[in-house]
Amino acid sequence: MADLLTSDAIRLQERAGSRDEAIRRCGEVLVSVGAVSEDYVDAMLAREQSVSTYIGEGVAIPHGTLNSKENVRRDALAVLRFPDGVDWDGNDVRVCVAIAAAGDGHIDILASLAEVLMDPDQAQRLRTATDPADVLELLETS
Amino acid sequence: MPTRTVVVGSASGLHARPAALFVAAAAKQPVPVTIRTGEKKAVPARSMLSVLSLGAKKGTEVTLEADGDGAQDAVDTLAALLERDLDAEDG
Repeated sequence: MADLLTSDAIRLQERAGSRDEAIRRCGEVLVSVGAVSEDYVDAMLAREQSVSTYIGEGVAIPHGTLNSKENVRRDALAVLRFPDGVDWDGNDVRVCVAIAAAGDGHIDILASLAEVLMDPDQAQRLRTATDPADVLELLETS
Repeated sequence: MPTRTVVVGSASGLHARPAALFVAAAAKQPVPVTIRTGEKKAVPARSMLSVLSLGAKKGTEVTLEADGDGAQDAVDTLAALLERDLDAEDG
């Protein structure tokens, strides 16, 4: 789990004027940590058009289509926090957990994320985190 | 109480698109349906977070359960959905 999410892929002061802009930022971070090639970003936008990746509690989990797995260089996650919120098809998104996955190792961390979000206190901690270490701790405790 | 145990058929497991489709289908059923893996606590099938928290991968056995009028149909419908590879229908 530790190698899936590293502190350089955690950005806590992001800003985006739209859902698609937020997804692009998520993709750029995955590109910058060497997890995906740039084509993956378009696949993330395509996936969002097909089915929303909003999962509740102000959190979305943008990721590419199944066909875009060839653009994944290594499985990784990125966490982007948008303190001002992003209008996500009518939902107010504060945190994006962007996923680059060719295998299924990320499913366990998503399960941890879901458990965090089902606990109102922990969900609030994630939405208001200002230190990458807090994010790592939250997602690794369960 | 109608119960069905099936193996998750979607390549990416029960998250992302397959989970979204499953949760939407569960919400349409006339009765509440629960889902669980192994001996873990059953959770509401119509809750995205609950379903994600199962961490079910392709090949994971999950058990659906419901009670009341239409429970058998609801469980059968959702079981059939889980067994399909919902990723393959991605287009």
